Amino acid sequence: MTKGILIYAHNNRSVDYALMSIVAGGLAKKQLQVPASLVTDQSTVDWMHESKIYDKAQEVFENIIIVPRPPANNYRRLHDGAEYSTVTFMNGNRYSAWKQTPYDRTLMIDADFFIFSKTLGEYWDVDHDILIGESINDIYDNNRLGYCDRYISEVGTKLYWATTVMFTKNSYTKLFFDLVQIILDNYQYFADTYRFDSKQYRNDVAFSIAKHILDGFENIDTVCLPPVLTLLDKDILHDVDQDKLTVLVSHKLDANFCAATLKDTDIHIMNKQSIVRHISKLMDLV
Amino acid sequence: MQEQLKQALDFANYKQTFSIQKKVLKEKNAAKLTFGFQGGLFHINQTLLTFVEILILKGRTTSVVLLDSNQNPILIPNLEEFRDEIFSRYFEATNEYFEADQNLKKSRSVEKLLAQ
Repeated sequence: MTKGILIYAHNNRSVDYALMSIVAGGLAKKQLQVPASLVTDQSTVDWMHESKIYDKAQEVFENIIIVPRPPANNYRRLHDGAEYSTVTFMNGNRYSAWKQTPYDRTLMIDADFFIFSKTLGEYWDVDHDILIGESINDIYDNNRLGYCDRYISEVGTKLYWATTVMFTKNSYTKLFFDLVQIILDNYQYFADTYRFDSKQYRNDVAFSIAKHILDGFENIDTVCLPPVLTLLDKDILHDVDQDKLTVLVSHKLDANFCAATLKDTDIHIMNKQSIVRHISKLMDLV
Repeated sequence: MQEQLKQALDFANYKQTFSIQKKVLKEKNAAKLTFGFQGGLFHINQTLLTFVEILILKGRTTSVVLLDSNQNPILIPNLEEFRDEIFSRYFEATNEYFEADQNLKKSRSVEKLLAQ
């Protein structure tokens, strides 16, 4: 059975996801000792050539799979510490992971999820077709999170975090990813049924609903990937010193911070601008 | 009064950093004690270690079925090899945790905590 990492990266005008995906892919490869592939679009590849990172991408990824650019109809408020801007983001094609992956068993991760440990390697042979990140795990304290970080809505089902998804390519998981596409295509209908805000398409929500439906419309405790340790976007990646990350954590989600360090721990860094500021040091780790 | 207030605020800042460092250590330890084996997933803890040792003492060493952390039955072909692996992982993780925790406790300022 072949195993590998899959990362999606579609650049927008504000965030260089391709750049981050090289770091994410390189770190994942290094820690888990499996190959990595990138799913991207032609315009992102053109930018990679222009910004001279394409060679590095080829070094990290055994496949660079070019797909049509997903529609840029999704907006989010992207914080960089206390500052923020509203940006478009293109995340509406994760359902294609089943088709695009060249591996029998795939670990799909977000481009801002950095693997610094071998923990996820323990899950390759777990006898479950699909495993999703169990929940978000705030680096400071789960009290910073809201109800809708844990459930898809006030009256909805449990929210899983699709930052990390591991799946085996088989007929059951095809059903799962086809269902994710159906949810994407009929997002308003599912928003009405599950009573969540449809303003922004979230893979976490679509994957959670697909899981809920295929579990027989029940909240079943199944095997999951570990909770995703997360640095929220109001926190800041302050420095990278070899494999030690110094972070500034806004304990009240305002402009006051306390410092902390991270080492040998997988981390989801939601403040993408702060990743890009330290990209050359992060690249050195790859 | 101003000085006392400053000291209290400094200490609060120190405690916040300390709490995050401690939380990250706990997460790291828990991750290291996760063991995937034969399609199952085991969280290595005192209960598992003791149970496996008792089974071996009772002479049950081959083709033993254990329930993993998700209560799924997993066939362990050679329990002694399994025991050796989980003991090794347990002590490696907890020794590392102990050492890091001691260093954390000795660090009495934010700067020293960050230097860990």
